[in-house]
Amino acid sequence: MIYNSSIIIGKIINFLITKILKRAGSTWPGEIALSLDNNFIKKTFMTNHMKIILIAGTNGKTTTASLIKFFLEKKGFRVFHNQEGANLLNGTASSIIKHIDVDGKLNYQAAIFEVDENTLPLIVKEFEPTAIILNNLFRDQLDRYGEVNTIALKWQDSLKKLKNTHFFINADDPLIYYLSKSLQGRINYFGLEQTLMSKKEITHDVDSIYCPACGEKLLYYKIAFSHLGEYICLKCQFASAKETFSLKNPKTNLLGKYNLYNINAASLLLSKIFNISLSFIQKELINFSPVFGRQEKLVYQDKKITILLGKNPAGFNQVIEVVTTNSTQRNILLVLNDRIPDGRDVSWIWDVDFEKLIPFGKNIYVSGDRVYDMSLRLNYCLKNYQERKFFSFESLKQSIENIVKETKRDEEIFILATYSGMLETRKILLKSSIPL
Amino acid sequence: MLLKIAWLYPDLMSTYGDRGNIIVLEKRLRWRGIEPIIKKIFISSPEEELEDCDLIFMGGAQDKQQQIVNRDLKKNKGKILKKMINQGIPGLFICGAYQFMGRYYKAADGTTIPGLGLFDFYTESPGLKFKRLIGNIVIQPSIFTLNTKFIGFENHTGRTFLGKDVKPFAEVIKGYGNNGKDKTEGMIYKNTVGTYLHGPILPKNIELADWLIEKALERKYKKKIVLKKLDDQLENMAREFIINKL
Repeated sequence: MIYNSSIIIGKIINFLITKILKRAGSTWPGEIALSLDNNFIKKTFMTNHMKIILIAGTNGKTTTASLIKFFLEKKGFRVFHNQEGANLLNGTASSIIKHIDVDGKLNYQAAIFEVDENTLPLIVKEFEPTAIILNNLFRDQLDRYGEVNTIALKWQDSLKKLKNTHFFINADDPLIYYLSKSLQGRINYFGLEQTLMSKKEITHDVDSIYCPACGEKLLYYKIAFSHLGEYICLKCQFASAKETFSLKNPKTNLLGKYNLYNINAASLLLSKIFNISLSFIQKELINFSPVFGRQEKLVYQDKKITILLGKNPAGFNQVIEVVTTNSTQRNILLVLNDRIPDGRDVSWIWDVDFEKLIPFGKNIYVSGDRVYDMSLRLNYCLKNYQERKFFSFESLKQSIENIVKETKRDEEIFILATYSGMLETRKILLKSSIPL
Repeated sequence: MLLKIAWLYPDLMSTYGDRGNIIVLEKRLRWRGIEPIIKKIFISSPEEELEDCDLIFMGGAQDKQQQIVNRDLKKNKGKILKKMINQGIPGLFICGAYQFMGRYYKAADGTTIPGLGLFDFYTESPGLKFKRLIGNIVIQPSIFTLNTKFIGFENHTGRTFLGKDVKPFAEVIKGYGNNGKDKTEGMIYKNTVGTYLHGPILPKNIELADWLIEKALERKYKKKIVLKKLDDQLENMAREFIINKL
């Protein structure tokens, strides 16, 4: 009874927030349902038989989840996805409330949850999911999530109790690969094709280049990016997986190696859990468009704009690689915020190689809560300090107006932003823009 | 002129953006026509490479990385560091690197990890029930003129307590500092500074960057050095902007 009343009360709260206050995705309905019945999530999944997919990892959760949803829906599955991006327990409960019937029926065949680093151990205590993707672990918002080794240990402790879950493991990440060895569930490995691992040197944004087993420095013989690659420990012989899955010849609108990892994770899961053929995925992949601030393309006042989310050193360096792979110069806007979803600490921008971005900026504009921190970072990329020529705006709206004004019709604009900066940018652009 | 900077364990003690300090030292030397030579000191590096340097820097890291570094410092590099610091070679040690220099670090589970014992201070984790000390921090450093405030970001579990003969680097104006209790932040000895400030510390507090450079050049070239002025408008603005927001 308590369970049913928590659904009803949660639904009322959700109605009040979304229809009366007209606010999107709040965690309040879930918060209240959980406070009424703390087994709310568990009970929902015990009574509704569906395949439950959890996606964890520092980067790529949203794109991987969206890819899985895209293909499942193409095949006629009814899919439930906590799209709000509120990936804490109360966020999960909230998205259940939004989709569930008052009598406790969730009419879906698959549920996809993006689970943040600290929530994963909590959520697998609630229920045993069908499958879990562990995509990567990079330093990210250290004031909020803590250090990657701590996260890996918490994951290991909680995940090793799962006996029937299928795991999809990025074997190119030494820390994730190492932790997968203590899991009991069924394990599948994905990675990047060796021929695409073209980096020659280890970059500064790495976290796991020492052997997770014995502490010796790993020897990398192939590098995809950051600490992802093929490696061996010469002291204890811990080494990357001999065979990993990767989708052959993917034709996609998603740019960057980080997205190939997302594609490989999604494809492997779709084929193993849902029996979707790889040839179907290869055929349909080109129809998948980037989502919500992740290489999302918009037209604003006749100018083509691409928004690229970057929220930690490894992710931002990948975004820079995407921007600089096509060698023409463009107008670029960088938006750095320091709100809770961005991480309050902005020190991480000094671990990003902005030196590589600057030659590709025709004019570089800077904005956000920490506009001067970002300007300073860019200035310290220069050979001569007299060259300082970046355009800083405390107001994001003004920075967007200026970059748009200074950009010619046929030129493209790139906006690289942290999470809340990306949301704000979209809000400004979407008032009078159309998705491409 | 040239200056050799030792960057200790760049692939291990580098989790919190502290590389920015090296970038700032390097650029501020170059912009003044002084050649910077950045010597990366790894576990595998011979001790002589460290001994040969005019300025020392080490950043903060995760617990696991710190254990690996601690083992290496316990060999010979720790002794060399001690000698260099006593000779007045300037050094900047952030967070975990700062903690190393004390007598010990007592972890949350009660195990005690001996430090290098260069200075009379110790660090203790109060246990898992207590929160990490996280947030923006404003301090008033003891070595600069009265109105210079420094800004940074701190993120540490350990609480550091200075012995009675150890001088704090600064007084806490906003934030926690060494332990959240006694208003002290970091420590200073001769030309060496230990501090909890990430941010990183040098880009927005360039007085400290220039102080380290000046001391290092004076020691190396055995004469009074007056550094060429740079246009620091943006550096100061970045600092003021945040101080005013807090």
